[in-house]
Amino acid sequence: MASATLSLCSFAAHCKSSETESAVVEAELQAPEPEAEPDASEPVTLEVAETAATEQVPKREEIFAVVMIGGRQYIVIPGRYIYTQRLKGAKVNDKVVLNKVLLVGTKTTTYIGKPVVTNAAIHAVVEEQGLNDKVVVFKYKKKKNYRRNIGHRQPNSRIRITAITGYQDYPAVTLES
Amino acid sequence: MNKDKIFKLAKGFRGRAKNCIRIARERVEKALQYSYRDRRTKKRDMRGLWIQRINAGTRMHGVNYGNFMHGLMKENIQLNRKVLSELSMHEPYTFKALVDVSHSAFPGNKAVPPKKEGLQILL
Repeated sequence: MASATLSLCSFAAHCKSSETESAVVEAELQAPEPEAEPDASEPVTLEVAETAATEQVPKREEIFAVVMIGGRQYIVIPGRYIYTQRLKGAKVNDKVVLNKVLLVGTKTTTYIGKPVVTNAAIHAVVEEQGLNDKVVVFKYKKKKNYRRNIGHRQPNSRIRITAITGYQDYPAVTLES
Repeated sequence: MNKDKIFKLAKGFRGRAKNCIRIARERVEKALQYSYRDRRTKKRDMRGLWIQRINAGTRMHGVNYGNFMHGLMKENIQLNRKVLSELSMHEPYTFKALVDVSHSAFPGNKAVPPKKEGLQILL
């Protein structure tokens, strides 16, 4: 109730121009709204701060890894997707485990693989088996009556990274201080 | 290639190269030859760019590019230059760790305490 009275006060203060009685009436009429607002607002801000504080830690575990897929190295972050060379034999919605993890970085520690972080694995889901944008392969030799005009679309796979696991046992470099 | 395709590819070209089919065809063909060539040179160019970025990153920690890469080779760290340059830009602490590992790969470099200079000698 203390908060309710507070809200009334604040409301009255807001509409200084009108008489006190009318102000009170207005306040009474609109009581539910302001009652809810400041009631909520003060703890809400606290709650928001708390949730933000709690969310910041688990929302996105601050981790990334460098993984080798199809002869190329990618920096991967859980929750994001990457386009890779076509993963042959994988179907859409298949789960993929990638073992060639070259580096894992968290907020405070880095696991540097020499050359691979043993036992570390990256779990991913194949989202799409598509094709890259078209490339026009135009070959031409002057004075030789030679020209080739070929289109090409390299097959690719879109995979979404779900988790990075198994790196904890590997010797780590920890950030001092 | 037919006219429509040529003009479609010639959008944004300068002068008559975007309007007149004879000139447009010439320019489009030349452009496609360039793009064929530059898909190959792109790989070299990017590698050069990554090396410059890595060099800038390592020099902030007092190591030059060549010694850094040599240290990584010795430690059998097989990160490629693309990833290293991205780490140097976006993950400075990870990159610092890599530089330290590479630096301590040489026997003479291990754990040198920083030299005290100037007034710090008195402390």
